[in-house]
Amino acid sequence: MSITNADVVSTQDSRRWTSMIGDFLIRHIMIVVMLLIVAFFAYRSARFATPDNLLTILIAAAPFALIALGQTLVILTGGIDLSVGSVIAASAMAAAWSAKNLGDNPIYPLIAAVVAGLLAGAINGLVVSRLNVPPFIATLGMLTLASGIAYVIGNGAPINGLPASYGMWANTGIGGFTIPVILMIVSIIAFAFIMRRTSYGLRVYAIGGNRLAAEIAGVRSKGILFSVYAISGLLAGLSGLMLSSRVITGAPNLGQGYELDAIAAVVIGGASLMGGRGTIWGTAIGLLLIQTINNGLDLLLVPAYWQNVIKGVIIVAAVAVDVWAAKRRK
Amino acid sequence: MPHTVVDANPDIAMLLCEGIEMSFGGVPVLKGVDLHLQPGTVTALAGENGAGKSTLMKIASGQYRPDAGEVHVRGQALPAGSTKAATELGVAIVPQELASIPELTVYENLFVGREVRTRFGTLNRRAMIKQARTSLQEFGLDLDPTVQIGALPVGMRQIIEIVKATSRGARVLLLDEPTSAIAEREVAHLAEVIRNLRDQGVAVLFTTHKMEEIRSMSDRVVVLRDGRLITDSALTEITDDGIVTAMIGRELENLFPDLGGHTDEVILQIEDIVVAPGAEPVSFTVRRGEILGLAGLVGAGRSELIECIYGIRKPVSGTVTVSGQTLRPGHPGSSIAQHVAIVPEDRKGAGAVLSMSVLDNATLPRIAAFSRFGIITERKRKNAVGEVMKSMRLKSNGLGQHMENLSGGNQQKVVLGRWLTGAVDTLLLDEPTRGVDVGARSEIYRIIVDLAAQGMAVVMASSDMPEILSLAHRALVMREFSVAGELTREQLASPEVQDTIFRLASGLDASTTSLTEEPNQ
Repeated sequence: MSITNADVVSTQDSRRWTSMIGDFLIRHIMIVVMLLIVAFFAYRSARFATPDNLLTILIAAAPFALIALGQTLVILTGGIDLSVGSVIAASAMAAAWSAKNLGDNPIYPLIAAVVAGLLAGAINGLVVSRLNVPPFIATLGMLTLASGIAYVIGNGAPINGLPASYGMWANTGIGGFTIPVILMIVSIIAFAFIMRRTSYGLRVYAIGGNRLAAEIAGVRSKGILFSVYAISGLLAGLSGLMLSSRVITGAPNLGQGYELDAIAAVVIGGASLMGGRGTIWGTAIGLLLIQTINNGLDLLLVPAYWQNVIKGVIIVAAVAVDVWAAKRRK
Repeated sequence: MPHTVVDANPDIAMLLCEGIEMSFGGVPVLKGVDLHLQPGTVTALAGENGAGKSTLMKIASGQYRPDAGEVHVRGQALPAGSTKAATELGVAIVPQELASIPELTVYENLFVGREVRTRFGTLNRRAMIKQARTSLQEFGLDLDPTVQIGALPVGMRQIIEIVKATSRGARVLLLDEPTSAIAEREVAHLAEVIRNLRDQGVAVLFTTHKMEEIRSMSDRVVVLRDGRLITDSALTEITDDGIVTAMIGRELENLFPDLGGHTDEVILQIEDIVVAPGAEPVSFTVRRGEILGLAGLVGAGRSELIECIYGIRKPVSGTVTVSGQTLRPGHPGSSIAQHVAIVPEDRKGAGAVLSMSVLDNATLPRIAAFSRFGIITERKRKNAVGEVMKSMRLKSNGLGQHMENLSGGNQQKVVLGRWLTGAVDTLLLDEPTRGVDVGARSEIYRIIVDLAAQGMAVVMASSDMPEILSLAHRALVMREFSVAGELTREQLASPEVQDTIFRLASGLDASTTSLTEEPNQ
């Protein structure tokens, strides 16, 4: 018996295992939804549940995973980052420009993308934390600005004819696990650790839950706020590099609308847009859910426009189920 | 406008609850409660936080569906969990958190949801304003219905909520802690409104923590404890001690522990702090082991002074020195480094992060002590926090429990206890027992006196007169962001001290000629 339990008035009754399973399912309702969707696709398509296809899902998920992780941090503080889609485009263009003009070295595009993403995120962070502009507005401005920059860099056109080394970032790897997939897995584990086990993570939750109380407890909220936007920008930069490296082209319309999928993943994962509630694992589940739907509908040869319709319905339905389950939990 | 028809048959209870049982997440909150309210009566529902008072009210008003039991309103069964049916049957509830919409005007608030329309379906504002004025006047309120409700004091908004409820035909009025957020003068007005309704045949049920209010407002008292109805008695047949004993389940021998002595070593030194532009500078010292009380009316600047000392608010000028070190104004971090701790007035808004666990809340101010290279050492913080919370006798389902599921008294223990995992030399308390029930209150007093005896310098702002009189070695009375007077322990013990404090606080003492009243907010 540890000290933590010594003063506890226990209310846990010994319950039957059936109700415990019911409890578990209610608590992890998204996993249930996920399994149902997987089961449906596996039943309808022979190709769905193959190792090759699972890898395809992971590869498609990777660029989204990075921005969804950044988005999770921002949303946990009670903010939102609408600019990540455009920051992907601007970073990809910066990376492609550097590869074209600075020489055939894959380090240049990496540095260019990271710097571009970090810069955009830092500006977001400064505007939100120092100028107290609402995050929705600040990042809406950046969405437009970064998109403009992306077109400026390419003079309105994509940057083609890049050296083959540019494709290294997305297309090399170990046993089918390409760099983006590895980066995704490492990032998810790293951020889960940071948010759960470090003082930084605790401070992010505290600011989102109650900024004034956190400040009174000595948390420097401006610095933390700045950091989550900077991280979100940095991850968007990396995401831009991965996406453009895959096709060895810099396209100024890359990543358009991706911010909405990232936000959807976070929300499906159970985070509150008011801040203070949500987990990295939740986001990972939300992300896989969206990517699985994308992939499954492709395999079933559902026309692209209909895919959007179905996806929209599933996103709202999934969150509605989660809200219902949250009520039952109480 | 109030429907003032008294029911023909007084034998039928206005509200009848039978065998109400309810539990949340497997934790029983109500264990078979029977309650009946007669027309034209005022019943006080007493009990500690967590006794089930609010839950019972929510069931009676159709917000919750009970696990077992029935509610009848004037002989008619209330369909469980239907607020609409409850409203139609004449049950109205005024919740603890104000339900008025601050951006709308008084009359818009009164009529929202049942607006008066013209023939063309547009709003008939003129008719609504006229009706609103009549309703307000029936409650003795001479108020312009077109003012924005957010601009009114909380007490007035509370009364307008009652006007709203009764003007929709309520015959049963449930008030959840109607006085917890309002000034004393407004309480008197509220009591008058309640008496008025009683005379019209309305059955009123209200909850409160204060004995004076049970005495002055109700004619019957019902006590809940641990989800059971313990006492149901006419007010004239029960003593104050009887009520308290019923509430806490044991005799409360002494609410306030004995004060210890203090040393002469100065810990906290306030020099010429100007809290707000134009205010007189404030200077005082607090010694190790001493509890300094800050008395005054609402709005006298006590909270602001405490915020200046701690560093959440920048004073106009002046310095705060703790153990010889001058604090950086506006930097809570520098105060924490000098072992200053604060328990803010607004527990939910400024004290606790409700969405986080007890453990996380308790870790926050001393996080550096619990982490290496930014990584939290789980075992270390669990041990330290567990030990402190054990000594504070925190009642929770473990350190992982979310703050929002704790009672007010237990939340307050966490907000205070989170500092005690490290050294504290100066403890700033702003209304330390606001919204805390009697049992937990005496525990918090004991903790405060213990902490002072261990060598802390304590500053305690309180609107609760007995707290100042019994818990402070010395008291400052504040008025208009400045110190209006100082009272020693001997003076605090004298019988006429309450009068002295009131005179100082309201500026009625001989030295001032101004007789204007202090604003309440």
